[in-house]
Parts: sequence; C-alpha cells; structure tokens
Amino acid sequence: MSKNFYKSFVITSLFLFTVFYKTNAQISRIELKAAGLTCSMCSNAIFKQLKAIPEVDNVKTDLNSNTFVITIKNDKIVSPIVFKSKVEDAGFFIGSFIVVASENFLPKTNYIVIEGTNKKATEVKFQILDKGYVTEKEFKKLSKQYNKILTYILSNDNDFHIKILG
Amino acid sequence: MKKFFILIIILFGKKLLAQELYVVTDPASNVPSKSLNINVMQSLFKEKFEDGYNYHLMPEITYGINKNLMIRGSAFVSTRSNKLYTEGGGFMMKYRFLSEDDIHSHFRMAGYVRYSFNRADIHQEQLEILGHNTGFETGIIATKLIKKTAISASLSYEKALDNTVNYKFPSAFGNNATNYTFSYGKLMYPSTYKNFKETNINFMVELVGQTINKNGRSFLDIVPAVQFIFNSQSRIDLAYRAQLYNSMLRTAPNGVYLNLYYTFFNLK
Repeated sequence: MSKNFYKSFVITSLFLFTVFYKTNAQISRIELKAAGLTCSMCSNAIFKQLKAIPEVDNVKTDLNSNTFVITIKNDKIVSPIVFKSKVEDAGFFIGSFIVVASENFLPKTNYIVIEGTNKKATEVKFQILDKGYVTEKEFKKLSKQYNKILTYILSNDNDFHIKILG
Repeated sequence: MKKFFILIIILFGKKLLAQELYVVTDPASNVPSKSLNINVMQSLFKEKFEDGYNYHLMPEITYGINKNLMIRGSAFVSTRSNKLYTEGGGFMMKYRFLSEDDIHSHFRMAGYVRYSFNRADIHQEQLEILGHNTGFETGIIATKLIKKTAISASLSYEKALDNTVNYKFPSAFGNNATNYTFSYGKLMYPSTYKNFKETNINFMVELVGQTINKNGRSFLDIVPAVQFIFNSQSRIDLAYRAQLYNSMLRTAPNGVYLNLYYTFFNLK
C-alpha cells in the first residue's frame, strides 16, 4: 500500500514537473502600443478591455505614448489574437506589439522568425510584424520588404512572423 | 467680441491635445464594443416670440454592439406646454465603415440612420427630429485626428413626418432638409497626461447648419463648448448655441446646453 502510494507520488510529481516545465515556456510580458487615439477616455477603454482578459495579471499605461505594458499570470498561455481583438473592440488598432517570453518559448511554438537572432540566455524579446500588429503604413512597407515570404503576404490569423529584438 | 476672438486665437494657437467627443454632433468613431454610455442632455433656449425659456431634457443610452456598430435610444422631454412633458423618443444606429489609423492619428468615416417620433405641436420651419419633429435622418460623418487635433464634418438628409396623432406637418413648410456640421475640438488640460484620474479640459467649436430643400431657407449656428472629463469615464459639457445666420422661422435659436455623460465599460 505504502509502496504503491510512494510510486504514484513519484509519478504524479514527475508528471506535474513536466507540465510545469512545458507551460513555463510562456509569454511573460507584452508591450502594446495602440494607434488611432490621443484621449485618456480612449486609453481607458483599451485599458478596461485588456484588464478583463483572464490571463492578464497587470496593465501599466503610459497615456502619452498609449503604450500598455501587460504582465501575464504565471503558467498562463495567451495568444496575441486575444489582444488584437480586445484593442479593436475598444475601437482602435495595434500600432506595435512587442513580446517578452522565456528563452524556450520559440522552439515550442510555430512563430516564424524573419529577422534577428536571440542572444540572451534567459528570455527572448520580439516584435510581431503581421497585419494588425503594426500600423497600416508599416504593414505596407513590410509587405514589400518581405514579399518573398508567402506566409507573411497571406496574413493568416494564426501565423506569427517575428523580428527578434534581443 | 474682439476679446472673444483673441481668446479663440490663443486657444487654437496653442499646440495641445484634442478630443472628438463633441457636444451637439457625433464623430465617426463609436463607443467601445460592449460598453454602455448614459448621456443626459439638458438645454435652456430663450423663446423669441414670447417671454421665458424653453427647457429640454434628453436622456440617451448608447451601446456598442461590436467594434463598428453602435445603437442609441433617446427620450425627449420638454416644458413647452408649461410642465414637464415627455414628447417623444428616438432610435439611432451608426456604422463605422472606414478606419485609417496611425500612431496618434486617424481618419474615419461612418454612416448613420435615425428615427424619432414626437407628439408635440409643430411650431417652426426648422426641422429637428431630436426633440421637435417625428421623422428620420440619414447621413455620413468623416472625422480626422491629426497630431492630436480632431476635426469632423457631417452631411445628412432629414425628413419630417406628421407629429404623432394630432399634429400634421404644415403643408406650407418644406418637410425635408440638408444638414451640415463642422466640429473642432482640442484638449486644453493637461498638456502631458499623468494618469487616468486626472481631469481633462477640452475646448470645442461646432458649426451646425440646415437648408430646407424645397425653398432654400437656411440657418447656421455656432456652438462653443467647454468639456470636463473626470476619471477618464465621465463627462460634463457646457455649451452655448448662437445663431449666426437665419432665413427661416425658428422659435428659440439661442440657448445653453448642460450635458452629463457616463460610460460603463465591458458589459457582457
């Protein structure tokens, strides 16, 4: 009985450790700059939308640049799509979307690196360059620059093309 | 008058931030999706052909169905019959069909339809389905935000019908009109934002005009306003409306507005 219990305890612990280790490959912080607004009531509309996302731990706002620094709760997996739709629900658009994630994040996801390499051992910082995550003007410019990358031009919602910032 | 113009030049000349939450017109932008706005507009206009003032109370509820579509219900209460009397109500729907947004700027366009009913007597040539006439209106709005200065223009077609049950639309009047508006707004305070709790002060000027399509009779009003925004969530507007030009019968063209506004974000 006690032997069995010990065995199952070890198995459970190993299982939990694996789960923890896997989910540890996550986004920890997002620096989101919103476009199309200059008023504090507009920023507040975005702020309330972002705060309402269950995986979001905290949102810090710079009202002058409309930058929202979003911290994600530990062991919570989030997709950039959620943030895009929330900003658009508030009536605005994403101007730039920078992600800070654990260093093992990229190997475990299907994000497509189109510029830069990671030099840091502990974390990776990257910008999403897809349509809806940069301004319209910027996207037009990038479309010309990356016109050979078919998946980039196709702008599929679930494909993320990134530039590693370091 | 000279002082007023100097004040306007000083206010406009300063390079400050802006707003598009106008008092008497709507911008092309909508309220956020799943948000509810409550707006209570009160106005006091001086009667031109008799003594006294005409008080109007117009509560409104606006809801964002999704990021591009919003709906609004309004009620019209007035003291024209010497006691508070609910004269009618209205429904409005606005759809944003164009958004070209950049950091700190945007150009947006929207189309809207409005239907109102009213059971008061018809006492002027001016067509106003917000509180006077039964009828409908449809129009387009374009709003541009450039370096934190918001300007907006709208063009609409308005048609008045018989006022509910007792009051036929007078056949001598033209029952449809073209409306045009131009609005300008600037944030006067703060010059740099600190937090959401800080009170914002906006200054606005709006031009509101109408031409009766049948006979070309027109008016043009100017509406300067000061707006206070509290906690990035509620608003008080104080505005004055003055007639600049008129060639039609209007019973109370000049007056003041007091507007109270509150937003409930993220209603499910």
